[in-house]
Amino acid sequence: MRANVSGVRHFFLGLMLLLPLSGGTAYAQAQESRMDQTQAQRQQVQPGNNAPVWRDVRSGKEGYTSIQGRETGVLIQTEGETWRRLRNGPITLYGGWWVVLTLIALGLFYKLRGPMGLHSPPSGKMIERFSSFERMAHWTMAISFCILAVTGLVMLFGKHVLLPLIGHTLFSWLAEVGKILHNFTGPIFMFSIVVFVVTFIRDNFPRAYDITWLVKGGGVLTGEVVPAGRFNAGEKIWFWGGVIGLGIVASASGLVLDFPNFDQSRWLMMLANIVHVIAGILFITWGLSHIYLGTVGTTGAYEGMRNGYVDETWAREHAQYWYDDVKAGRRELPSGAPGAAAAATAPPQVQH
Amino acid sequence: MARMKFLCDAERCIECNGCVTACKQENEVPWGVNRRRVVTLNDGVPGEKSISVACMHCSDAPCMAVCPVDVFYRTEEGVVLHDKDMCIGCGYCFYACPFGAPQFPQAGAFGMRGKMDKCTFCAGGPEKDNSKEEFAKYGSNRLAQGKLPACAEMCATKALLGGDGDVIADIFRDRALKRGKGAEVWGWSTAYGKPDKAQQPAPKGGKS
Repeated sequence: MRANVSGVRHFFLGLMLLLPLSGGTAYAQAQESRMDQTQAQRQQVQPGNNAPVWRDVRSGKEGYTSIQGRETGVLIQTEGETWRRLRNGPITLYGGWWVVLTLIALGLFYKLRGPMGLHSPPSGKMIERFSSFERMAHWTMAISFCILAVTGLVMLFGKHVLLPLIGHTLFSWLAEVGKILHNFTGPIFMFSIVVFVVTFIRDNFPRAYDITWLVKGGGVLTGEVVPAGRFNAGEKIWFWGGVIGLGIVASASGLVLDFPNFDQSRWLMMLANIVHVIAGILFITWGLSHIYLGTVGTTGAYEGMRNGYVDETWAREHAQYWYDDVKAGRRELPSGAPGAAAAATAPPQVQH
Repeated sequence: MARMKFLCDAERCIECNGCVTACKQENEVPWGVNRRRVVTLNDGVPGEKSISVACMHCSDAPCMAVCPVDVFYRTEEGVVLHDKDMCIGCGYCFYACPFGAPQFPQAGAFGMRGKMDKCTFCAGGPEKDNSKEEFAKYGSNRLAQGKLPACAEMCATKALLGGDGDVIADIFRDRALKRGKGAEVWGWSTAYGKPDKAQQPAPKGGKS
């Protein structure tokens, strides 16, 4: 008896499961055949029903129009809404916080760690660290980078941060100047990247001692003096990942946006915009860290790039392998003068 | 207060481009800018339909949402307008708009964008109504004169309707009802199709 009841129950359960399934497939098939109908076919069976045409309108299908221009034959494009959600949503929100948190982190680091000073007193004798051409290459890039960074931040966050403070009239003027500056500085920045990379690539190839430097974190936290080449591993990562990597991504996407006269599609420009904004925010925050380490974070670093000369103690502590090579005459000074000869004409002072 | 809307009746539009011409003539739009355009789908084949499109004056306007300088505003009648003096020509509204309404006259080399121009529902801009400055920047302000947009008023077949959303919805509903389909137009067969016996033979034998 018990088994019987269970059998009946199973039968009904099976029926209940099967019924909607079979009905569902038939319905889906009929639906699909109607979805495939062209407007011409639909009119035969249902005059006045324009569903196939409206489906085409919604899908972004290109029709005929006598109006010249970019994608004028498309009645509705849906990509714009996707772009709007991404840009106004996570990119603005998380990108904004990422910039703010970077600034807070740098401020905290400065407060807790303070500037990294020299371990030995300065020798008073200067050594050439950057030739005037190298400094020109660096500062052309640095100044154009700062212009791009500030104007770019105004484009993304100005509406939320600056506009409520200074009002529409002043802000729109600022944004317009910013847009023009951004569009014209971009190509200068790209050119400066090429010059910079050609100038500095020789000293940025990874070496075995870079691993030791990275393992020890450059002695940033411990205060230990870790030997490095002309550039330490941190600078090398910034060179390859930042200047070259982000530089290429930001430049390529920027070109798509800067020259809208090639009839590139709106979707390509939106895609480029998203890539450009993300690359830009990463570039700016990474650049802020570089600026911190190159100015207030490291005593004597800014003077090296400003005047081209650093104290020999600085060179020994921050770039020992390079310093040794120059002193031993194994490589010339940045300006091309022989390193050992320079040492011979001006003997180093007595070290303490 | 009326909520202004456009509606294009695809059964009536004959792709004469009269609306496009009327708009250009009425507003003296910049060279290379077309605030309205007519698009034909299935051009030249049975089932061809034409639709006139311009700014649809969205309630949740994407252009307004993405503009980095916040130049857009909505009038009490739901018309989306913008302040050209503040426009920086970034092109973001052009990316975001589903209808391709924002247009940019070229302002320099390399496709540099000028001030954005788009359909104003013939409602001008932030300047004084029907002033010389308003006309130069935005074209005619017909709404301030108690008139409806020139494109819809000019439409020979009355396919393009522009005006209070409630009124044009009533007009369109009337048309739909009078198109010889009676109550059926909103009925089962329009929504789901008439059972077509030739295409779908009844399943033979067995129970489903």
